[in-house]
Amino acid sequence: MISRRSILQGATALGGLAVADLAGWTKAWAQSAMHKPEAGAKLQLLRWKRFVQSEEDAFLKLVAAYTKATGVAVEVLNESLDDVQPKASVAANVGSGPDMFWGLYSLPHLFPDKCLDVTDVCEAVGKKYGGWAKSAEVYGKSGGKWVALPVAYNANLINYRISAMKEAGFSEMPTDTDGFLALNQALKKIGKPGGMALGHASGDGNAWVHWLLWAFGGNLVDKDDKVIINSPETEAALEYGKKLFEAWIPGVASWNDAFNNKAFLAEEVWLTNNGVSIYAAANRNAAKGDAKAAKIAADMDHSFWPNGPVGEPTEFHIAYPLLGMKYSKYPNAIKSFMEFMMAVENYEPWLEGAVAYLSHPVKGGDDFAFWGKDPKLAPAKPAAFRTRTAGHDGSVGEKAAAALADFIVLDMVANACSGRESIKGAIRIAERQAKRLYR
Amino acid sequence: MTDESAFKPAAQPAPPEARTQAKADHREGMEHLETPLSRTVTLWIPLGIIMLVLLFPFYWMTLTAIKPDSELIDLKTTNPLWTWNPTFKHFYALLFETEYPTWLWNTMMVAIVSTILSIMASVGAAYAIVRLKYKGANYVGAAIFLAYLVPPSILFIPLSTIVTSYGLYDTPFALILTYPTILIPFSTWLLMGYFKTIPFELEECALIDGATRWQILTKIILPLAVPGLISAFIFCFTLCWNEYIYALVFIASPDNKTVPVAIVTSFTDGDVFRWGSIMAGALVGSLPLVVLYTFFVEHYVSAMTGAVKE
Amino acid sequence: MLPAAAFLLLFLAYPLGLGVYLSFTDARVGRAGSWVGLENYEFLAGKNPLWDFFAIISNEVVGTKYELTGDPVFWLSVFNTLLYTVVASALKFAIGLYLALLLNRHMPFKAIIRAVVLVPFIVPTVLSAIAFWWIFDTNFSILTWMLRSIGVLGEKEVINYLGDPLNARASVIFANVWRGVPFIAITLLAGLQTVSPSLYEAATIDGASRWQIFRYITYPLLTPIIAVVMTFSVLFTFTDFQLIWVLTRGGPFNSTHLMATLSYQSGILGGRLGDGAAISTAMIPFLLAAIMFSWFGLQRRKWQHGEGND
Repeated sequence: MISRRSILQGATALGGLAVADLAGWTKAWAQSAMHKPEAGAKLQLLRWKRFVQSEEDAFLKLVAAYTKATGVAVEVLNESLDDVQPKASVAANVGSGPDMFWGLYSLPHLFPDKCLDVTDVCEAVGKKYGGWAKSAEVYGKSGGKWVALPVAYNANLINYRISAMKEAGFSEMPTDTDGFLALNQALKKIGKPGGMALGHASGDGNAWVHWLLWAFGGNLVDKDDKVIINSPETEAALEYGKKLFEAWIPGVASWNDAFNNKAFLAEEVWLTNNGVSIYAAANRNAAKGDAKAAKIAADMDHSFWPNGPVGEPTEFHIAYPLLGMKYSKYPNAIKSFMEFMMAVENYEPWLEGAVAYLSHPVKGGDDFAFWGKDPKLAPAKPAAFRTRTAGHDGSVGEKAAAALADFIVLDMVANACSGRESIKGAIRIAERQAKRLYR
Repeated sequence: MTDESAFKPAAQPAPPEARTQAKADHREGMEHLETPLSRTVTLWIPLGIIMLVLLFPFYWMTLTAIKPDSELIDLKTTNPLWTWNPTFKHFYALLFETEYPTWLWNTMMVAIVSTILSIMASVGAAYAIVRLKYKGANYVGAAIFLAYLVPPSILFIPLSTIVTSYGLYDTPFALILTYPTILIPFSTWLLMGYFKTIPFELEECALIDGATRWQILTKIILPLAVPGLISAFIFCFTLCWNEYIYALVFIASPDNKTVPVAIVTSFTDGDVFRWGSIMAGALVGSLPLVVLYTFFVEHYVSAMTGAVKE
Repeated sequence: MLPAAAFLLLFLAYPLGLGVYLSFTDARVGRAGSWVGLENYEFLAGKNPLWDFFAIISNEVVGTKYELTGDPVFWLSVFNTLLYTVVASALKFAIGLYLALLLNRHMPFKAIIRAVVLVPFIVPTVLSAIAFWWIFDTNFSILTWMLRSIGVLGEKEVINYLGDPLNARASVIFANVWRGVPFIAITLLAGLQTVSPSLYEAATIDGASRWQIFRYITYPLLTPIIAVVMTFSVLFTFTDFQLIWVLTRGGPFNSTHLMATLSYQSGILGGRLGDGAAISTAMIPFLLAAIMFSWFGLQRRKWQHGEGND
C-alpha cells in the first residue's frame, strides 16, 4: 500500500536526491542490475510496523523508486513486531503468502529450507561495502548459503537522563557492571530510579537479560549446542541482576516493550534500555511545542552497555533480516529488489530516515555522513559490530529462536530477581526447558 | 417492554411466550409495597455501583480518545478524570487519514455474511435434530455441542492449510468461511431450544394438508422463530465483530483487515502506542453494535427466553 | 443439516483431528515432523502427572517448593487456567445473577439501562483489553490516582497491578468478569422473565420472604438456563486468549499464562507445533468435564418436561 499522502510526506521530510537525479540514476541502475525481474512480476513484502514515521516515508519512497525503475509493483504490508514471525511461520508452513518477510533475529533459521537462496546478492553487497559484520553473516547464512539479507540492526542502548546521573554523583555513564550497579543504587537513593522490562517484552526484555547473562560469562549453550546454563557464571549474573532489580522502580515485571518509553517520558524512570525511540518521541513532541518533552530531549543521552567480568561488549541488538520465500513466483524480482534496496543511493537515505533507529550491518556504513549529525545517536552506529547473536556460541537456528520465543532466559532472570524462585531453582527450570529445546 | 409488539412484524403471529412475557413485566405485584428508601437501598444503589464499574472503562476510553496527547501521561498537573481541552483530532485522523471506513466495511461485511451463512446452516441442523426422528439425532446434537471443545488458538495452523489450499488467504472469504466454526454450535443450540417451543400439532396439521418438510420449515417454523433468529443473529454478529486470532493470521493486506486487528497494528509504532487513536477506533468500531443492541436488546432478551424455556 | 455438517466436518473436525495428531509428533513450523508417541505429553505433564498436579497446587497455594517431574510452566498454566476459570466464572455468575434480579424489577428507563449494561460485551475484546492495560499501568493507573486523591494511597505509593503474581491474576480476572457479566446477566434476565408471575403472587400471599421466593421459586426454575449459560461461560473463560495476550502475555513470571496462551507461545511463536498441540489437546479433558456438567443439567430438564415434547 503506497498512499499518495505518505509519499508526499516522505518527499518533503527528506532532502536526499533531487527527483530528476533519482530518475536518471534509477534508469541507469536498471540497465546494470544483476537480476532482472520476471515480466509482469509484482511483490508483496510484509514487514514490522515502523518505529519512526520518517523511516517508513523513506522506505516507501525507495519502493516507489524501485517500481519506477523496474515496473514491478511492491505492496508493503505492516504487522506489529511480534506478529511478523507467526505470519511468516504460517506462510512457510502452507507454502503461500507474501513474497518477502522482513522479521527479527533468526527468523530465516526457523525454516531455512523455505528461504530463497540470495547468496549472490549478499556477496555483492558485502563486496561493495567492504564486508559484512560478523553477526550479520551469522544471521544471514545457513549451511554456507545466504538465506536472508540482514538489512539492518536495531540498537538497544542505555537511555538515561544526564541531570539525574550527575545528581547521583556520576559524571559519565560507568563502563563496567560494578559502576553501573552503583549508579542504579544512587539513582534510587535520590528518588529518580531506573528500570528495565522484565515482562514478556521480546525487544527490550530480551536485550537486557542476555546482556546480563553474557556479561558474567553465563551462556545458555556452548558451541556444540550443549546446555550449559547451570553454571557459577549464571549464578553470578543472577546475583547481580537481583541487586539491580532491587534498585529499580517497582513494577518492571509487568513491563512490555512500550512501558519504559511511557515511564521515561513521564519522568517516572530516569534510566532504562531502549532503542532511540524515546529520544525520537521527545524530539517529535518538542517540535510540537511540548516544553517538558524538549527538556527531556535535551537532558537525555544514550550509551553503550557496561562491560561485565568477561571484559568485552555483551550487547544484544535486534537484527532485521529480509528474506524471500521459495514459493514466490518471482524470485528474480525479489533479488532485484534486494539489490536495489542495498544500492548506496537508496540505502543511505533510507537509513538516514530511520534516525539511528536502524544501524547498518556492513563496514562501509560507518562512512555514512548522517551518523555525525547528532552525537547523542552515535552509540547506535556500531550496533552490528558489538552485538552477539541469538544463542551466542551455539547455533543460530530454530532452537535459539525457540529459546527466545519461550523467554527462557527472561523468565529465569525474572524468577530469580523477584525472589519467586531461588537462584538455583530458577536456573534449574531454565535448564530443563533448554535441554528440551536443544535435545 | 410493554410496547414490545411494536418491534414485531405485524403480519407474523406472536409466539405463545411473547404474550406471557408482555404480562411478565407487570408481575411486580409486591413492589408497590416498597418504600422509596428501601427501593433506593435494594435497587438503585447496587444497580448504580454495578453500572458505574461496568461503564467506567468505557468512559475512560472515551476520555482518552478526546484528550490532547500531552495530558495523557500527566497525572500531576491536570485532573486525569476530565479534560477541558477536548480534541477530535483522533477521530478526524481515524476517519480521514486512515482506511478506517474500509476496515469498518470489511468487518461489517464479514460479520453479516458469515452470520447469515451460519444461521442458515444452523436452522437446518437444529430443525433436523429437533424434528426429524432419525437414529443418532441426539448424538449429532451432542457432537455439535462438543464442537465447542476446540480452542481456536490451536486450530488456525490446520485451518490455514485449508484456507490457503483453496486460495482464500488474505481474502474476506478466509474469515467468512472460518467464523461459522465458532458460530454454528451456539446458534444451533439456541435454535434447537426455540424450535422445541413451537407446538408440534401445527406441523402435523400442515403435513396432513400435504405440505412438504421444506414448506413447513419456511412457512410455519421460521416465521414463528423470528425472535430466536434475531437473538442468534445478534450473538453471532457480536462474536464476529470481536474475533481477533483468525483475522490476525488469515488477513495480511490493510485493505482486507477487520477493525480490531487493523486498529492494533495501525496505531502502534513499534513500541509506541497511540492511545488516543486506538481508543477512538475502539469507540467508532463499537458504534454499529451499540445501535444494534439498543434496537434489539428487548428482542434478544425475549428470544433467549424462548430458547431456554422449551 | 447437511451444510452445517459439512462445514463442521471440514473446518472443525478435520483441524481438530490434525491438532490431536500433531500433538503426537515433533512437528515444527515448516516441517512435518515424525511420530513421537506420548513424548510431548511426558515432557509437559511429567512422569507422574497426578503428583505434579497436586504439587503445583500446593506450591501455588501454600508456598511449598516441591520439584515437579514435568514442565513447571505447563503445570503453572494448568493451575492458572483452573483458578482463572473457577474464580472468574463464580464471580460472573454471582454478579450476573444479582444484576439480572435487579434488572428484572420494575423501573423507569428499563430498555436503556438494559442496553447500556451490555456495553462491555459489545466493545471488541482486544480494544477493551488495551484500555484495561492502561488502567492497570503501574505508573499511570487512573485507579492509583483515584486512590491517592481519596488518601488511601500515599503520594509515591503505587499498586503493581500487572507486575505482582497475585495482583496480576486479580487484574485479569477482574477484566474478564467485567466483560462477561453483561452476557450472563442478560441471559439470566431472559430466564427470569419466563417465571410465571402467578407463582410470585401466590408466594407473596403465603407470606414468603424475598429470600424464600428466590430460593424456592426463582432459583429452581432458573436452574436449566443457569446450567447452560454457565457452561458457555466456563468454556469461553477456559479458552480465553485475547485478554491475557494483550494484558500480560502470560507474565509476570508466567503467573497468568493460560493453557491457550502457552500453547500459542510454544506452538506458534516458538515454532514447536507438537508441544503447542499437546497443550491444547490437554485442555480437552477439562472442557469435557464442564460439558458433562451442563449435559446432566439439560437431561434433568428433559425429565421435568417429560419425553413427550422431544
